Order: sequence, then C-alpha cells, then structure tokens
Amino acid sequence: MSNNIEGLDPVRGLRPDQLRPNEPAEPIVFSRHKEQLMTAISGTESYDDVIRMMPDIYPRLAYDDERAAVEYLGRVFAIEEIREARMEHGDTMLAWLRVGNGVVMVGHADEEVHRISSPRSLGRTTVQMMVYVHNVDEHFAHAFAQGADISMALQDAFYGERRYEATDLEGHRWHFAERFADIKARGGHVPDEATGGLPPEDRSSAM
Amino acid sequence: MVRCVGAMAITGNFQPPAGENSSVEVESDAATIAASFEDSERFGVLFDRHATVIYRYLVRRVGVDEADTLLGETFAVAFERRATYDCTRTEARPWLYGIATNLLAHHRRSEARRLAATARLRAHSPGAEDAFGPVVKALTVADVWLRTARAITELSTEERDVMILRAWEELSYEEIATALGVPVGTVRSRLSRARTHLRELVPPDGREP
Repeated sequence: MSNNIEGLDPVRGLRPDQLRPNEPAEPIVFSRHKEQLMTAISGTESYDDVIRMMPDIYPRLAYDDERAAVEYLGRVFAIEEIREARMEHGDTMLAWLRVGNGVVMVGHADEEVHRISSPRSLGRTTVQMMVYVHNVDEHFAHAFAQGADISMALQDAFYGERRYEATDLEGHRWHFAERFADIKARGGHVPDEATGGLPPEDRSSAM
Repeated sequence: MVRCVGAMAITGNFQPPAGENSSVEVESDAATIAASFEDSERFGVLFDRHATVIYRYLVRRVGVDEADTLLGETFAVAFERRATYDCTRTEARPWLYGIATNLLAHHRRSEARRLAATARLRAHSPGAEDAFGPVVKALTVADVWLRTARAITELSTEERDVMILRAWEELSYEEIATALGVPVGTVRSRLSRARTHLRELVPPDGREP
C-alpha cells in the first residue's frame, strides 16, 4: 500500500470495507431482489419478443387519428395493444394490437408512401376484420354498452357460428364470431338449424 | 458491436476464461443474455452470478439502504437494455458496473455523506497515516482524510467514477472503458486528471493547499 501505486492510496483508504469487514450482505436482500426481478421478467415482453411472435401475415389498418383508434378498439372491442411494440414517430405512431393468436397493426393514414387511407376519408372500406372471440354474447353486450356502431345484429349463421358486425370510429368493419362447438363447450345454447346469412328464399328449405 | 439477439451461434462457442477450472462447462454471460431472448427467465442467471459484487459496490458508494434500492434497479435496467449488450463481450460484469454507476449519479449527496463518515472513522483507526507517506505537518491526519473525502466528492462525476472503479473495485482500464462506454484512452486521461485534482486539493506533504 505504501508505495501508493497510481497515486490512489488515499482513495483506497476510504474504501469503506478497508475499515470494517465487508458489510454483511443479508441473503434476504438477494432473494428478495431475485424474486422481484424474475416477476418483472416473466411479466414483460421485450420489443424483440414481440417482433418474434408476429404472424407472417397481418393487416395494417389506416386511421386519421390512430391514437383515438387504439383507445376505441381497446375500450369497445377489448382488443389490447402490445404496449412494448409501440413506435412513436413525432405526431404519428404505429401500434400492434393482439387479437387472440393474431395481430393487427394500427397506423396513420399514409397517402404518399403506402397509399392507404382511412375509410372515413374514402367513404368506404374494402376489407373486413374477421375475429373469433371467446364469448360472442358477452363481447356483443360489452361493445353495445360502450356505444359500438352495430352494423349487423347478433345472429346464428347457417354455417355454424354466432356472429355480429360493428363499424369502428373511422369506418373499418369488424366481424366478431364464435363457433357453435365453442358455445356448447362453455354451456351455451345453439339452435338445431340456423338460417342467419342465408338469402330469404333459401331459409324455408333449410328449416 | 454484435447484438445478442439471434446470436446463439456465436455465443455458443465461447470458452470459459483461461485460468478457470476448464473441466466445468461455464456458459458465458453473453450466451446467457442471448438465450434470454428465447427464454427471458434465463436472465436470472446473471443476477446469481453478479448481484453480490454489484451490491457490495453500491454499498461502498452509498450505504446499505440506497444500495438495496439500486441493486433492484440495476438488474431491471440491465434486463430492459439487454438487446443493446455487445455480445462479443463474454463477461457482463463491467456492463453491470456501468449501469450501476449511471444510477449512482443521482445519489451524490449520500455518497458525500458516506465518504465523510468513512474519513472520520479512518482518522481514528490504526495505520491512518500509511496512505500519505511522510508525516503530515500542518494538517492533522484526521484533516487529511476529511479533505481527501471532500476532494473525491468535488471531482466531476466522470473523474470520480473512473477513480472509484479503479481504486475500490480494481477493474482494469479496459473494463472501466466498457462499463462507462468510453475509449480506454479516455479512462487513462480521466484518471490522470482526477489524480491531479486530488493532489491539488490534498498535497502529499500536508501543506495547506
């Protein structure tokens, strides 16, 4: 010590455990922090995890106000954003929303690069989101209570699904459905013969 | 700079550092971080390996209470930033030192208090004069320790961090450079400036500065 290597001996002398044995590090400090860390880790997905789980095909929906859209889709249709994935670009942003094992991307209408527009500015849409939900009766009741614009009432379709349709705040069309088999599995009732979706002249023959 | 994302092929090949028991297969920290992109809970291994050292470092600098909080923060930040880890570095300890050091920047006041307390203790312990060589004349030994503590406190954050990582933690210049994200030359020049400042504030012969 006395040769004062690098002229740092005075600094070394102030290293606290030069004076006392190492501060006793309670094992509980480590076990507590380890536990907290593991809880935090298992509850988070990094951006990379999120990118990795993206399906190979998913739609990008254009909105004039994508922030309002993310709020609306979460509140009315219970479609939650994958928060870790959000990318902000000044005033605009890109968001990814998880829908069961699928994903939709929500971004700003972009007439120049991607040439995609909000249905609101076009006055029409050319695509419909097809979504399976866990309990379509509850989903419908929730959306209705939240003021959803229901564009097709809940019905039992002839091909064996209960479904309804809604139009969101900028005119994108959403079709929510549940298979009869899944309705039965959760103890719900389904009709023997469903005619929803058939043209009127075919309904009597199907009965 | 090679990121660990998708880097399993690279990191899988790392050997344990020379001199360690090579009969035991040791997964490098880089490999652990790479694996944590597939299975995030693997990151816990990094805590098991380095938490004790990082905790001691934090206790030395700011005391037990604040070290407790900062230990958790250090590993939480490390997990969040693991995508930016340079996967060519097998050992993550300098990187963790760097994260802890950045967090310490907001705790200057506790650090100053702790240094002053250590200086008071040091002044009354056996061998108190050793670090200063010739017997101090105008100043008492106690004064010199207190002045040294104050001088360290008054260094810029950059100089103080380099000095403490070298003198207390005994990291190499290369490790300090990695920890702080600066070139090795910068570590040398900061350390040299810090030493100069320390000598100005606490002359080795004990004269009034």
